[in-house]
Amino acid sequence: MIDVKNLTKRYGTHLALDDISFKVKEGEILGLLGPNGAGKTTTMRILTGFMPPTSGTATIGEFDIQQESMQVRELVGYMPERVPTYPDMTVEGFITFWAKMRGVKKPIAKVEAILERVQLIDRRKSLIRNLSKGMRQRLGLAQALVHDPRVVILDEPTIGIDPQQVIEVRDTVRDLARDHTVIFSTHILSEAEQVCDRVVILNHGQILAEGTPDKLRQQLQRGAQHLFVQIEGSPNGTEALLNSVTGVQSVEPLGLGFTVRAKPGVDVRAHIAKRIAKEGRTLLELRPVAMTLEDIFLDVVGKDDGR
Amino acid sequence: MRGISLIYRREIGQYFASPIAYLIAFAFLLLTALVFNNDLTVSLGEKPADPSIIPQFLAFGMVFFAPLLTMRMLAEENREGTLELLLTAPVREGDIVLGKFFSAWTYYTILLLATLLYQRLLPDTASTDLGHLIASYMGIWLYGGATLAVGLMFSSMTENQIIAAFLSLSVLLLMYLGDLAGEIVSSVDLANLIRKMTLQGHFSTSFAFGFMRLEDVAFFAGIMTVTLFITIRIVESHRWRG
Repeated sequence: MIDVKNLTKRYGTHLALDDISFKVKEGEILGLLGPNGAGKTTTMRILTGFMPPTSGTATIGEFDIQQESMQVRELVGYMPERVPTYPDMTVEGFITFWAKMRGVKKPIAKVEAILERVQLIDRRKSLIRNLSKGMRQRLGLAQALVHDPRVVILDEPTIGIDPQQVIEVRDTVRDLARDHTVIFSTHILSEAEQVCDRVVILNHGQILAEGTPDKLRQQLQRGAQHLFVQIEGSPNGTEALLNSVTGVQSVEPLGLGFTVRAKPGVDVRAHIAKRIAKEGRTLLELRPVAMTLEDIFLDVVGKDDGR
Repeated sequence: MRGISLIYRREIGQYFASPIAYLIAFAFLLLTALVFNNDLTVSLGEKPADPSIIPQFLAFGMVFFAPLLTMRMLAEENREGTLELLLTAPVREGDIVLGKFFSAWTYYTILLLATLLYQRLLPDTASTDLGHLIASYMGIWLYGGATLAVGLMFSSMTENQIIAAFLSLSVLLLMYLGDLAGEIVSSVDLANLIRKMTLQGHFSTSFAFGFMRLEDVAFFAGIMTVTLFITIRIVESHRWRG
């Protein structure tokens, strides 16, 4: 559905996007993940037709984003990071305006349906200036969805709203995937993990990693085991003991136990169990720990910054 | 066309929903009414009422009213970020700018037409010179369109409405008072040239006396065309400036 090829964007001498390429399939939710300034918003702005790339191309549906910008804009629904509104308009008036701008033929029914969906139907006559932040966020979402676009681009839709509303927005986004293709940016990793089918990690305008959250986790762990180990009695000396086990790369205290990171390709579980028994201590817990995207992210971005 | 008419209708709706627009309308009608009344008092028993008295006042008045009527239009879109949405909607930059311009001009036209009611207050024996009246109103209508286009251009340059209003007011004042410069140059040709470039020079000695000259119409149409073209380019430049 979306095919990005060698996209580069330069602001003066600053390279905001450096030759990035990725694809998004129909009905997929793609997460753009990265710290602030990574190039997420720039990528989205190029795809929505707001700004042209310095070089490279992208197609959305069968249309080229530069040659057939008008067709692309009809296909896409976009919610910028800072939800733009006209404070003096009513909720209904605002959505109706955007429905018409985007060429919806019978706006009244559409507007009603979308306001129902984002739960703003009982505020339809309210002025936008009187809405709460969360409501405005939902209004922005309604604006992006009212023309039933095939592609929905959401720039950090969960920023600055309370946790309950965050959950609602995430649910709405997941719901969208049934008949929309979604690109969704965030710098919260657990969010990407929960919502997205696939994740592209960006930093300094480059793609650092790409894949399903599961695949990314595997790929970046590179087969290395992460274990949680807890031993009965005082933890004094345990760290040194675990460190001395063959195949252990690092040990860090965590709560009442330790996390142990093994060298790649080595199964250290048996070694650890035997060693502890040999020392005459009792093993309470030995279990693998799944690396979260958080860890992977720090790993990848950290390495990149260290270059 | 669809884009122009949608933007136009939204802006007109904004005017009629906004308290500031009503305040401007109040000031506009109050001041023109005072001018009319004053002229009436002076003319009483001396001469017929001057049918171009209101257009003549507005030639100066629009220097202030035009920035007030247009300062919000693009500066607010810019500040609220809605410009980014407009630029990703399937409409052209020109549609956005023209829709806004025509709505400002329409609002001004409504105010201008309202002042025609004053003429109805005159007794039939005052025998208004209809040609003079029509020409002066046509003139000030075009004149107003040109000043509004200038105001809209400055509104596109900044996201601060006050700065937009201040810049357009300064430039319009310069364009209005520019012919004073003609009084301090010794060369008559140069003085004439300067006068030809000012708003006054194309109104106070032609439309105001009931003359409709093609060169004056072309001057105001020219200002509108050039400033609207620049405005469209500035709006477009947001794509490059990011």
